[in-house]
Amino acid sequence: MSPGVLLLVAAGCLVAGIVSGLRWPRTWLTLTVIGTAAALGASLWVLLGSTDWEWLSDITVGGERLHLRLDALSALFLALLCVVGASGALYARGYWSDRQFPVSAPRGRAWWSSLVLCMGLVLTLSNGLHFLIAWELFTVSAYFLITLENKRPAVRAAGWLYLAASHVGTLVLFALFATLASHNGNWDLGPAMREQAGLAPLFWLALFGFGVKAGVFPLHVWLPSAHANAPSHVSAMLSGVALKMGVYGIMRFNGWLPVPPAAGWVVIGLGSLGALLGIAFAFAQNDFKRLLAYCSVENVGVILIGLGGALLAVTQGDAPWGRLALAGALLHVWNHGAFKSLLFFSAGSVLHATGTREMSRLGGLWRAMPWTAGLFALGALAVSGLPPLNGFVSEWLVYLGLLGAITSKAPAAWAAIPAVILLALAGALALASFAKAGAMIFLGAPRTQTAMRAHECGRWMLGPMIALAVVCAVIGLVPALVWPVVTRAAGSWHPAWALAESPAPLVTLGLVHVALALAVVGVAAGLWWKAQTNGVQRGLTWDCGYATPTARMQYTGGSFAGIGVGWFSWILQPERSLRRLRGVLPASAFRQERMPETVLERVIAPMGEGVLRVSSAVRRLQHGRLQAYVLYVVAGIAALGCLVLFGGKP
Amino acid sequence: MNTHLNLLIGLAMGLNLIALGSSRLPSLILVVSAQGMLLGVMPLLLEHDWSWMLLAVVVATVGGKGLVIPALLRRAMRAANIERELEPLIGFVPSLLLGAGGMIAAVAFSQSLPLLPEHAGLLLVPGAMASILTGFILLIGRVKAISQVCGYLILENGIYLFGLLLIRSTPLMVEAGVLLDVTVGVFVIGIIVDRIQRAFDSLDTRKLTVLHE
Repeated sequence: MSPGVLLLVAAGCLVAGIVSGLRWPRTWLTLTVIGTAAALGASLWVLLGSTDWEWLSDITVGGERLHLRLDALSALFLALLCVVGASGALYARGYWSDRQFPVSAPRGRAWWSSLVLCMGLVLTLSNGLHFLIAWELFTVSAYFLITLENKRPAVRAAGWLYLAASHVGTLVLFALFATLASHNGNWDLGPAMREQAGLAPLFWLALFGFGVKAGVFPLHVWLPSAHANAPSHVSAMLSGVALKMGVYGIMRFNGWLPVPPAAGWVVIGLGSLGALLGIAFAFAQNDFKRLLAYCSVENVGVILIGLGGALLAVTQGDAPWGRLALAGALLHVWNHGAFKSLLFFSAGSVLHATGTREMSRLGGLWRAMPWTAGLFALGALAVSGLPPLNGFVSEWLVYLGLLGAITSKAPAAWAAIPAVILLALAGALALASFAKAGAMIFLGAPRTQTAMRAHECGRWMLGPMIALAVVCAVIGLVPALVWPVVTRAAGSWHPAWALAESPAPLVTLGLVHVALALAVVGVAAGLWWKAQTNGVQRGLTWDCGYATPTARMQYTGGSFAGIGVGWFSWILQPERSLRRLRGVLPASAFRQERMPETVLERVIAPMGEGVLRVSSAVRRLQHGRLQAYVLYVVAGIAALGCLVLFGGKP
Repeated sequence: MNTHLNLLIGLAMGLNLIALGSSRLPSLILVVSAQGMLLGVMPLLLEHDWSWMLLAVVVATVGGKGLVIPALLRRAMRAANIERELEPLIGFVPSLLLGAGGMIAAVAFSQSLPLLPEHAGLLLVPGAMASILTGFILLIGRVKAISQVCGYLILENGIYLFGLLLIRSTPLMVEAGVLLDVTVGVFVIGIIVDRIQRAFDSLDTRKLTVLHE
């Protein structure tokens, strides 16, 4: 079957899913799985084959002919969308069930289908006007999914912030596409635009417009609250795929458009900054979904570092290290999609079991939720970039690219050296963040009653998590498998890099990973066997000599992260309040710490207040005094008269 | 012929200044009615062959602007039982200075306009502009609703003067229609003034700002 037929089937299933989701959950689930499988088939056809698929139909929408194109780059993103789309749908059946949420569950299913459909359209449409329409519908669908629990004020605020930020980005995209259309004389998009050097400044519009959606560091303001307050399967979709739509837009348009010389430097700089500060913010969070959200900012930073390296390489004579950096970025898109969805699903399981996102109210969950704990640990290892999992493979490719730039002594080395250092620092902080999250949630003793009453989640939720964990493990253990796919995508970004020879290190890396995994499994099996034969002696941890230690005498998230937060207090600006014990008979004491959203609260909010002040000053002109209104009219007419008399010559 | 016409327009421009300087409602209404009558007889000077139609329009204009409308205003004033003092937002002396300055500016400005040769020697254009300006000053600078109606009438007189420029190309019927509109408008305003007075016990338009949303 050709991709066209498969995509038609997928679109049909998803449209039917929008209708059936409201009434028939089983039909909806079947349709969604069939639809995503069909679209996955289409993208695999393109990725594993050697030709792209393109269809210019005679059907017109809004006066423009429908133009679909599925090349390797969009197919890579489409495949990710399908995997997360299907697993999220399966997960939602257990997580957001009709029994628990009779009103919002049907709505959530319909919007889910719509979201998957619109993102698929964004990836395949090759006409600027249609692209914008699909982009807007995608934004709106995501908004309704974020605000499924619209009874809670925090959810409504998060949704509103998301909608406002997204539309700032969309506004810039309107400027981008309108300029493109007026320059080209039509709305068609495609690689042909690459030849027109005059279009290069549009890169900055694309970087801003898509950067808002991708959560590039200073533009990420909407991201933490939206990811934290959305239902977890929606968070997984937002973080795993919706952010990647922004990344796709950036990659697509600096692949299709000529780029200014500064582009690579700026992108690699933004990426390094985002990677380090994103993970610093993540480390400081107490809400585990917020932690995951900030971690997404870091990972988008990693992707941008790879992309920036590739852009630099293109401007400096197609250096081969650029291909490695780009391959790393593309693979990281996939990897982040897989492990971040896995992490959000496990976070959802914890939330489902305990009803709280505060890490300081959890603890000791691994006894009650061994599967979730194990899968979270696997995802955490992957996201921290540790071998033998997939996160290491892509970050390693990015490192190889940057190190190649350094050893080749190209001018790009001046960007690559700090990028490598910051990336390494971010990797270490990521490990610390996930050590904190894993330890607070799953290890130690339960801190509250709710944590004690936790239970393992059902098979509908475990199934998709296991599937995603398998994806993470397979990419990690057999990285040579994905190389041809990534090379195809890199080739459609920059045709000179379409050559597919696999670098030997990937095969070696795979072997090392398999050996490492076997060693880990072997050691684990040995320990388990030893424990089974000798028995386990259980006792207290060292209790500092306290007579009756309680569960509250444990490290909190704040104390765990205290030193690291101190390093970044210039940007994190934590707000602390402390009342010490005083006197012989002290009153109660407390210490509170709140992590503000620095960019939002210290930069965007004051700017917004400034705009509001100006607006209310202007509003004073409308006061209802007739005489002054007549004066406005006279002044207006006089101004027009002056314009006609002294102004422009017709 | 032109000197007679210019004399009348000059008188109307003088009346503008009196309107700006008058501090009591009845005198303002009197000025407006006098100006209306002056304007009403102007078509007789502009047209050489008098017809029944022209005479009818002249009679209607003089009657409407000079008698009916002022009568309506006086009636509204009496019915609403308003204080006769005008409350200026722009004081009388500044209003006068503005009006005088506007008049000079209008004369100077009309010199630079590309007018038809037969209009070049006439004061029609500066007179029209000065009247419109005076109307605006009254609209902006006076508080009471009735004084604003007077400002509006002077503004309309300015437009009527402009209309006289086109007397050969627009039928007088149009002018008659405008006059009818104005009369009806003033009639309606008279009723509204009465209602406002009953509802709010005042005709101070500054107190109507609560309705601005």
